[in-house]
Amino acid sequence: MVTTVKTEEYIIAEEPYYLPAGIEIQTFEAAYLNQIPVLLKGPTGCGKTRFMQYMAWRLRRPLITVSCHDDLTASDLVGRYLVQGGETVWVDGPLTRAVTVGGFCYLDEVVEARKDTTVVIHPLADDRRILPIEKKGEVLTAPPQFLLAISYNPGYQSVLKDLKQSTRQRFLAIEFSYPDRKFETAIVIHESGVDEPTAGRLVSFAEKTRNLKDRGLAEGASTRLLIHAAKLVVSGIDLRNACRTAVNLPLTDDREMSEALSELMQSVF
Amino acid sequence: MSSDRQYTGHFRKDFIRNLRLDFFDEEEIRALLAELDSLDPAIRQQTFALCHSLSHASSSLVPNTLRRIQRASRSLSPKDLGRWIGHAYDLLDHHGIGPFLSFISRIDEETLRDFTTHRGLRLQEVAPVLETFLQGISGRELRIVQDTESHTDTVSVYLPAVVDRYVKRSRNYSIFKFMVSHQWAQLTCGTLTPDEAVLRRFLREETPGEADIASLFSQFGERSFAIDLYTVLEGIRLEAFLVRELPGLMREIPDIKKDIMALRPTPLGSSLKETVVEGLLHVYLNGDTDSTTPEVIAAFSDETRDLKDAPDAGASLRLLHLFYEAATRQNGGYVARKIPLLGTIRPDEVSLQMKAERRARRQMIKGMITRLMTMTELRPREMPHRKQADIRRAPDPLREYLLIKGRAIELDRELKKVLEERGCIPGGIIVHGSDLGGSVSPLSLQELVEDEEEIPGRTEGGMQYDEWDYKRGGYKTKWCSLHEKTIHPGHEPFVEQTRSRYSGYISILRKKFELLKREPRIVRRQKEGDDIDLDATVEAFTDLRAGLSPRDDLFTRYDRQERDIAVLFLLDMSGSTKGWICEAEKEALVLMAEALESLGDRYAIFGFSGMTRNRCDYYRIKGFEEAYAETVKRRISGIMPKDYTRMGPPIRHSVHILKSIEARTKLLITLSDGRPEDYDAYRGAYAMEDTRKALTEAKEQGVHPFCVTIDREARSYLRHMYGEANYIIIDDVRQLPGRITDIYRRLTV
Repeated sequence: MVTTVKTEEYIIAEEPYYLPAGIEIQTFEAAYLNQIPVLLKGPTGCGKTRFMQYMAWRLRRPLITVSCHDDLTASDLVGRYLVQGGETVWVDGPLTRAVTVGGFCYLDEVVEARKDTTVVIHPLADDRRILPIEKKGEVLTAPPQFLLAISYNPGYQSVLKDLKQSTRQRFLAIEFSYPDRKFETAIVIHESGVDEPTAGRLVSFAEKTRNLKDRGLAEGASTRLLIHAAKLVVSGIDLRNACRTAVNLPLTDDREMSEALSELMQSVF
Repeated sequence: MSSDRQYTGHFRKDFIRNLRLDFFDEEEIRALLAELDSLDPAIRQQTFALCHSLSHASSSLVPNTLRRIQRASRSLSPKDLGRWIGHAYDLLDHHGIGPFLSFISRIDEETLRDFTTHRGLRLQEVAPVLETFLQGISGRELRIVQDTESHTDTVSVYLPAVVDRYVKRSRNYSIFKFMVSHQWAQLTCGTLTPDEAVLRRFLREETPGEADIASLFSQFGERSFAIDLYTVLEGIRLEAFLVRELPGLMREIPDIKKDIMALRPTPLGSSLKETVVEGLLHVYLNGDTDSTTPEVIAAFSDETRDLKDAPDAGASLRLLHLFYEAATRQNGGYVARKIPLLGTIRPDEVSLQMKAERRARRQMIKGMITRLMTMTELRPREMPHRKQADIRRAPDPLREYLLIKGRAIELDRELKKVLEERGCIPGGIIVHGSDLGGSVSPLSLQELVEDEEEIPGRTEGGMQYDEWDYKRGGYKTKWCSLHEKTIHPGHEPFVEQTRSRYSGYISILRKKFELLKREPRIVRRQKEGDDIDLDATVEAFTDLRAGLSPRDDLFTRYDRQERDIAVLFLLDMSGSTKGWICEAEKEALVLMAEALESLGDRYAIFGFSGMTRNRCDYYRIKGFEEAYAETVKRRISGIMPKDYTRMGPPIRHSVHILKSIEARTKLLITLSDGRPEDYDAYRGAYAMEDTRKALTEAKEQGVHPFCVTIDREARSYLRHMYGEANYIIIDDVRQLPGRITDIYRRLTV
């Protein structure tokens, strides 16, 4: 039996696990109070989405997440008319819903979206805080509880996928990176239930792969990958195999690099 | 299969006929054939062919040859035997029967060894992976280089060509990995670069010059004995570190150590010195002292055990002195030995590397002092002429400063040394910070000299470009003059040569790029098209119902994505690219041009070099409007390394050119070989900051810069210099032509 929960009713009930690395929580809260939208920067798998969940829980707001892709248009965000039983019915898009209920709208990997989405983001992201709905000829004003957040990974190199200055300069930016060894170990332990020595090893291995960024690897192993590996270990898969499946193979297709990674891994474990 | 078919077919009949002609009886023939059939399949065909050839000359040679081959097969693997037979066959073909016979008669071990493949694991095979491994564990740009023993000079890690202790590859591989890791541990834990405080504890008072590990070892009469002792002591000390950092690798080491231990000589040595080193090595291999440990060591067994917890090389150095003194009390020589796993330490090479670094710095300081003396006197009120953007420093009361010509200069160790060597400089005095007024803002020597560069000089003709001066946080206006030139066409058919050399690759390349062009994509909401856009149609109907006027873009269409890209390639033509790099850059250009021709993106190629700010040369190889025709090809062929690398002006000029081009996406791809540097003060931080600024400006003006650097060293500065620009480092220049096209594809997907 599948239960349907309306997005706007989706309030995170339990506290998501989040270990602050700096003052990001205070910064976010200040941004929320001052109604300034937030840009989360950082490599993949370092906790951006988890941070959003945590903040939504902390501030008791519904969180609506949209994963952007290259076919995502403005009307996908705002909404459209649909025909239902001979009647036309307006269906709100996620952004409209978030504005209406005063929730958080989180546009993940916003650079992937089509350029025309900026048209709806821009007026929402400056001091006007309005969402024009062209089809209905309406303009929604966002309540103070509404917050727009976008995420972006500056590591991607395609020049065609860059955030425009006019978009960037509407946001506060919070930078994320991989947590410190101590924190990261704690995170891996908490998320997977693995024992501390193993978690420590995994983190130490991840650090070594991060040394290889720009030396053949586009990016080092993320915390998320480590958690995956740790979960496999908890499920009874031996450490080396877990690491191979969860870390090495996802990271690279290059044979030589993958060999070097597995040598590193075998040395660490 | 096919070999057997040949062997049984026509040739076999021919062979039998030859044998019969030479009066072999049927019994003998059957025996010979049976012998041939029983050979290893890997060499059967080849041997048969050889015998067949021989039978044309004289069948009587066949049985003997076959016997020789069988004898040789006892010492050679089938593969090596194949090579041996092949060589014999070649001799028969090219030099006749005499040399052939004398060759196959020599089947002693010594001669056959030439045909034996080295057993064991060769460094060549694993070097690339080991290098990545090393960079991964260390986070530093260390290289792997082949040598006779493992050691490091802090820039490279040297490893032996082959590890053949085991038959099993994985075991030998583990040894290589251990060697690399041990050298890394030595670098990380201060084996080679102990702190000055530690060094001073063991150095004689009067040691002149910079103290380093070489000066320490020059104090020992029996130097190689001392080095071997230190190598093993550090091996014992670093083991704990390695176990902590790389437990997986270190789990395999005890077995290897045990095997090595089994092969160590008994008795330990012919003199006390040898006994001590060997005994210590046993302690290392066994993990602790035991009943066989020589007395000299056993007397300090607690200290030896405590080495594992020692934070720096001091503890090892102390034991080294104790053992050294105890052992040299007795007569007897010392023959240096190869120390398994740990390799050796070469203090002189380490010292040389460190001296080279220091020398480079020294040289810079000396040049600056000379400059300083020719500077004009500064009146006190002119002092704070630097922009506010700079953080002003107050003098530190505890430090010393050089006061000269109205300027206060920070005195660091190097500068002080140089000054002491010179005696004094006219007009300069050394004062304590506490004696300087609070209003004085001291400068470092480098800052000072760079400030002085600001005196405007002549700039003649050409295009004028500003240059960024990070010291003052502002631009030096119209500082550089850039001259556009065309390249003298070359006469070599370079482009044709490259094309034929890469012909296979070029056709793949063209296909790849064409794919890029035609990548079909459904475009929605078109006024006309191949299919109905359901979303749009539904929307139109709902609009109709809602009483709105529907839109008419109801179709989808397959479309090749329109590419509206203009790219400018900017080529470093400085003198340092001479040789491989320049060739590779040229080849890369040819491949790039071929690919872009098939793709249809607009592109231009320019080169740059020059000397001083008054002569920034900007060479046109292909303008945007020019076709990739004979003249352009001749110009590519004519590209030659010229002078220096002043990166700022050519980048600014390229942006200027790109601005005049209509395109949705504008790309600037620079190809260079490392640091920007010009004849004058355009170097170091100044040059990097200007380059960084020029790239930032490019970005501000809507040009996407991408930097390709061919550099095998010091990459730490690149991340800063290229800042916001994307970049990639290619360390093997031969990869450049292949990689650049790949990069371009990825950039513009």
